[in-house]
Amino acid sequence: MSSPDTTLQKPVLPPPVIEQGALGWAHANLFSNRFNTTLTVISLAILGIVLWSSLRWLAFESDWTVIATLSGRLIMGPYNTESACPGQDCFWRPQAALLLVTMLLGMGWGIAGGGLTKRYAIGVVAVLAAFSLLPYGLDEMGMDVRLLLLANIPALALGWFLARHTGLGTARWLAILAVGTFVVTLVLLRGVEGIPGMQPVSVNHWGGLMLNLLLAVAGITLSFPLGVGLALGRRSRLPVVKLLCVLFIEIFRGVPLITLLFMSQTLVPLAFPKDFPVNSLMRAGIVITLFSAAYMAENIRGGLQALHRGQTEAAQSLGLKTWQSTMFITLPQAIRNVIPAIVGQFIALFKDTTLVFIIGMQDILTYSRAFIQGNPEFIASAQELFIFLALVFWIFTYSMSHISRRIEEHLGVGRR
Amino acid sequence: MAVIPRGLNYKGIPLWRHTQVIQGALQVISALVAVSLVAWFFLNISGAIRDRDIPYGFSFLSREYQTPIGHHFLPYESSDSFLYAFGVAATNTLLVSIVGVILATALGIFVGVSRMSGNWIVSRAALVYIEFFRNVPLLVQLFFWFYIVLALPQVREGHVIAERIYINNSGISIPWPYAPNLDAGLLFIGLAAIAAFSGLTVHRALVRRETLTGVNSYPVALGISAFVLVAAAAWLFVSVAFGEAPFYVSTPEPQGTFGRPVGGFTAPGGLIALLVGLVIYTSSFIAEIVRAGIQSVGRGQSEAARSLGLPYMKTLRHVTFPQALRVIIPPLISQCLNLTKNSSLAAAIGYSDLTNVAVTMTQTAPAVSIFIMIMLAYLAMSLAYSLVGNVYNRLIRFV
Repeated sequence: MSSPDTTLQKPVLPPPVIEQGALGWAHANLFSNRFNTTLTVISLAILGIVLWSSLRWLAFESDWTVIATLSGRLIMGPYNTESACPGQDCFWRPQAALLLVTMLLGMGWGIAGGGLTKRYAIGVVAVLAAFSLLPYGLDEMGMDVRLLLLANIPALALGWFLARHTGLGTARWLAILAVGTFVVTLVLLRGVEGIPGMQPVSVNHWGGLMLNLLLAVAGITLSFPLGVGLALGRRSRLPVVKLLCVLFIEIFRGVPLITLLFMSQTLVPLAFPKDFPVNSLMRAGIVITLFSAAYMAENIRGGLQALHRGQTEAAQSLGLKTWQSTMFITLPQAIRNVIPAIVGQFIALFKDTTLVFIIGMQDILTYSRAFIQGNPEFIASAQELFIFLALVFWIFTYSMSHISRRIEEHLGVGRR
Repeated sequence: MAVIPRGLNYKGIPLWRHTQVIQGALQVISALVAVSLVAWFFLNISGAIRDRDIPYGFSFLSREYQTPIGHHFLPYESSDSFLYAFGVAATNTLLVSIVGVILATALGIFVGVSRMSGNWIVSRAALVYIEFFRNVPLLVQLFFWFYIVLALPQVREGHVIAERIYINNSGISIPWPYAPNLDAGLLFIGLAAIAAFSGLTVHRALVRRETLTGVNSYPVALGISAFVLVAAAAWLFVSVAFGEAPFYVSTPEPQGTFGRPVGGFTAPGGLIALLVGLVIYTSSFIAEIVRAGIQSVGRGQSEAARSLGLPYMKTLRHVTFPQALRVIIPPLISQCLNLTKNSSLAAAIGYSDLTNVAVTMTQTAPAVSIFIMIMLAYLAMSLAYSLVGNVYNRLIRFV
């Protein structure tokens, strides 16, 4: 037995080696008990096999020439082919539209003053500029294309300058200019009769990633307000309005999008008068928007339902009218609470733009698939092509969910 | 109630600010707009039908379809009617959806639980799996798997495992039970269901006994033996009654000049790609649902279980998961519906599901009628899933 004095005089020992630093981390997270150790060993073995075989495939077996062969076609589809744009070079038109978008990004950076917007703006422009430096022969990618791609850097700077040093540096102006840019983009791509260099290009020749992005942007911007309207209508006290909204939502949610798209092809021309100007691009856009709006409505309805009654009652007792309490009290909170679900729906919409194959539109996926089918010498490269496409889509969708998480943090969801 | 003072000149609330009037008018207007829109479409469609001589109605259903269906689980001949062909296609979709839902749920639970594992490597691997597969369009994944099957060796040089399983670029052939006498087969399936039920009853009774008395009663072993005993008795009974066994195993065997395997069950490349793609895609969503469900169970629950000495897997099975199920089931149902609807992408990889066959049908049958039938078919499947899910949800709900 030792006296209390000797106990006190013993030096304070450091924690055991096994609980410190990397070793401690490994012990806590990988080898805390027998079960955990077994798991670690087995999963390391599986991971090792998977990594080894994929690396071997990447190094020795894979052949990525199919990507290089398709190159610009992946982005434009058949837009700049001889049948789409006979006797002319139409490549500058989507590129000019891209410059406008970059300018908007620059404005966004200028308004936000850094942070996430800055990083994404710089990232996008860096990728575009890197494209212009790809080591192709000049015949593959002309000097004009490279210069227009490089012009994205000054476009970004111009947007930043406009936002910082002119009166345009507000969110409202950004929204107005964004709508303007969208319209200008459509006009640029479609072309105008009679203006040299602006030869009309039929929407059937629009394609590639450009088509996916156009459909996604239009679908997202239109389906959101529509979904909010439907959600409010479904919660309305007016039975007729409620019934109509429920019918709309349930019909569109009950049928696969691909079926709706196909039926838009066969039924919509019948449902409108003969001379009604509606082309396949518009039909696809409308169907995707309506379909997405039905899902969006259910997400927002969930947010509205989760909101405490006290919010509405407080608004009413302050004397706010119904529309005021909806617009300023309930809706903002409801939307904030379901941001992940809403962004999830945006992502789903972007992924769903690949379904336009059923109505013969040549988006990035359909165009690639048709290319593989038409050129049997590339059939062995199908895996490389689809892995590449998966990565392209993944970059967009993952950025979307990343941005949404940052917005949530910014709005303090779950904290206040 | 406050009494509103009314002067001599008070004439009531003006009509255009009266809540009831406004609400009534709104309803009438929206109803009118909706009705007139539908009527306009209807008039246009009927006008187009008249002018362009487009067929309509449902009289085509009894006509012969006269088009082959690539792959079918039910027996099908080209001389069968449109209605039967539609049913064959719907069965394809239904079976893909049922098998897909079961596999995707199992895989999703596995990945979701892995995501919550305390093991860093397992949890990270699950995260990568989830984030990759749910963020890539299903169609890209379907094409990827489809071209992997296509890249397999040709039929003659295909892989053969133990002379029973044939793997080549036209699909996978495996041995499959085959009933020479349909009545005997059906009777045995019915009796086997009874056997399963009796096995479950024995299991439940023994678990109850174990819980109440603490006597070790081996519920799993005895339950399985009860099932095997009853099933064997049923097999004997059916064999004696019909003079032959209810099921034989049919093994695929290469035949003809191409050596294409005949017999057994052959899953074509489209079906394999569809199932693999759907299961992996949906499982990544289900994994997230499972994770959210497990996170919704208070940490105190698993800590209490651990301090009672329950090991990790038992904690998960008996404490965390049963409580998480309440949160998991509703979104899980909607994922099952999504899987069913997503199976319509089979059209892109040439598998004959409901949508694919229906699209082909519109070439020889009125599109409007086909569209109504597709809607009803998917609606029926959605309702069936919701019903099963809701019943299950009610069973496991907290009282």
